[in-house]
Amino acid sequence: MTSTTVLEFNDVQAGVLRPRPSPYVGTYLLFTVSSPQDGRALLARTLPMIRSAAEPVGQDAELTVSVALTFQGLKALGVPAASLDSFAPEFVQGMAARAAELYDVGASAPRQWEQPFGSTEIHVGVLAVAAERGGLDEVLAQALAAQSGLGVSLVFRQDCHMLPTKKEAFGFADGLSQPAIDGSGVPGTNTREKPIMPGEFLLGYPDETGDLPPMPSPEVLGRNGSYVVVRKVYQDVAAFRRYLRQNSTDLAGEERLGAKMMGRWPSGAPLALAPDREDAALGADPARNDDFLYDADGDARGFRTPPGSHIRRMNPRDGLDFGDVRRHRLLRRSTSYGPPLPEGVLDDDGADRGTVFVFICADIKRQFEFVQSQWMNTSTFLGGSGTERDPIGAAGQDDGGEFTIPQKPVRRRLRGLPAFVVTRGGEYFYMPGLRALQWLADLDT
Amino acid sequence: MTTGTEANRSAQPERPGMTDGVASEFTVFCKIKQGHADALREVFALMRDQSQLSRDALREVGTLHYARHVIFDNDTRLMFASEFDGSWDTYIDDFATTSIAKNFDMVFRHTEGFPGITDPNVKDWFVSQQEPALVFSGSYPDLTVSQIWKDQRVNESFQAVLDTPEFQAALDNPANAALLATPAFQELLDVAAS
Repeated sequence: MTSTTVLEFNDVQAGVLRPRPSPYVGTYLLFTVSSPQDGRALLARTLPMIRSAAEPVGQDAELTVSVALTFQGLKALGVPAASLDSFAPEFVQGMAARAAELYDVGASAPRQWEQPFGSTEIHVGVLAVAAERGGLDEVLAQALAAQSGLGVSLVFRQDCHMLPTKKEAFGFADGLSQPAIDGSGVPGTNTREKPIMPGEFLLGYPDETGDLPPMPSPEVLGRNGSYVVVRKVYQDVAAFRRYLRQNSTDLAGEERLGAKMMGRWPSGAPLALAPDREDAALGADPARNDDFLYDADGDARGFRTPPGSHIRRMNPRDGLDFGDVRRHRLLRRSTSYGPPLPEGVLDDDGADRGTVFVFICADIKRQFEFVQSQWMNTSTFLGGSGTERDPIGAAGQDDGGEFTIPQKPVRRRLRGLPAFVVTRGGEYFYMPGLRALQWLADLDT
Repeated sequence: MTTGTEANRSAQPERPGMTDGVASEFTVFCKIKQGHADALREVFALMRDQSQLSRDALREVGTLHYARHVIFDNDTRLMFASEFDGSWDTYIDDFATTSIAKNFDMVFRHTEGFPGITDPNVKDWFVSQQEPALVFSGSYPDLTVSQIWKDQRVNESFQAVLDTPEFQAALDNPANAALLATPAFQELLDVAAS
């Protein structure tokens, strides 16, 4: 199936479709608005800073500002009830209400979250990303100036970045894998995956079924919008390193165990293509480092990439016994935060570090929540036991998970894995198209 | 300003139906369209004739233990009763274009109000036709369909090993005494004994 629809690039926020500079720095700003008029004025002033996906990627394309609203934010702007009612139920409920579905329990439970996550105070979210600090400060100054004189307060600010090493907190190259979107002209990272229909990520276009996904009304508000999932996740790097140390006999064994848990070596080289040792050249080559399948490449059973490893859970590719991977794909726009823990340190230094995960999709429940509940936190799809979970990404259940590394003659099975990550907060946003933002700014209810 | 729906939505249990361990039950009662009962019987006859196809379709779902269709109340009503791992709707989006969806479409189009299996509102329609059980229990609540298949494969392989003379020879070999003495292996031998 190929999309015959031409994407309206000039109405889609650049942050949805355009790749980011690398490395980059960025900042998340979350605002509360105290009246519909204040909220609309904030949007009106922010709108000129947002570029569309149609603008050529050039020098100043290294600056991107994206704006999204929560359900509470749409309400605060005075969006009519009929329109509010047309949004997806899980978006209406907000992420905290979905904790059971998302396995945000124990240390990750919403009552433990950082303020204001889990409250009704988050209305408007702004993300600014730039290739370097100077550019970012300039944009931030503008974004913050947009609220001056308005009844708008900044309730959360989080700086984030991608380091020149491109590595996330645990020390693995990040952001290597993206789906191609049919009709977008943005290539994916895996030539073996047929481009995904645009309606899986953008509202108003056919999705994988050939039909239009459910879209909020009126049409002007829904078209060219996306749902955006934001989650701040703390990573206990010292605990992760200690675990590798305690379960290996030497440094090579530590690196190998980490790779088996992730599905890639620290450089990003996938076990699928580099099963036995790190291959930095492969890891650094975007044309090759995501270009693989599992079953078709002879690894249905996971002797190279364990079926329970992080990357294989997040995107099982052609390795699923049941279900359709293409109905659960996400655009990832995640960013790291906090200072890296220096190489070789095994004791926690108390610094807050981790990832602000950002996922873009058309259907929060079918895409993000499904991946979170079915592929990350349970193992029915692998024929595994209830205690097998993503060894790297599963938060919240600290009663000791299992992780199986297929190998001959007998698999290795790790038991009592602690959770290395903790959900610190998160929310569901709606990222409208540019015309929709104008419509919101012009509301007169 | 609040919207009425918000409160209703969160008050609605997201997925009606009872669970027991990893499994949940899903039963719907629908009105058969006037005069459609015989057409529906033909659909079921076709599904029986192609039982292997029906079975393959179930395998495709991967989480469905058993499913059955019953026509009752003088040809006016249809019951569909089933047991799933997790919840019935988790994978329904994945099968919009597969044989299982075609089967569902063939059956439920003879019932009143069915919007079509690919309609975005089809899940809501099913929930509107659903009656949750008041008792639901299974004899193996911790086993998923995929684990059962896996366990079956383990048993078949194990039984095949027991049938080899080499296995008996290995048991008699003093070199293996330490292995035989482990509680884990004793457990295996206990299974092997009958």
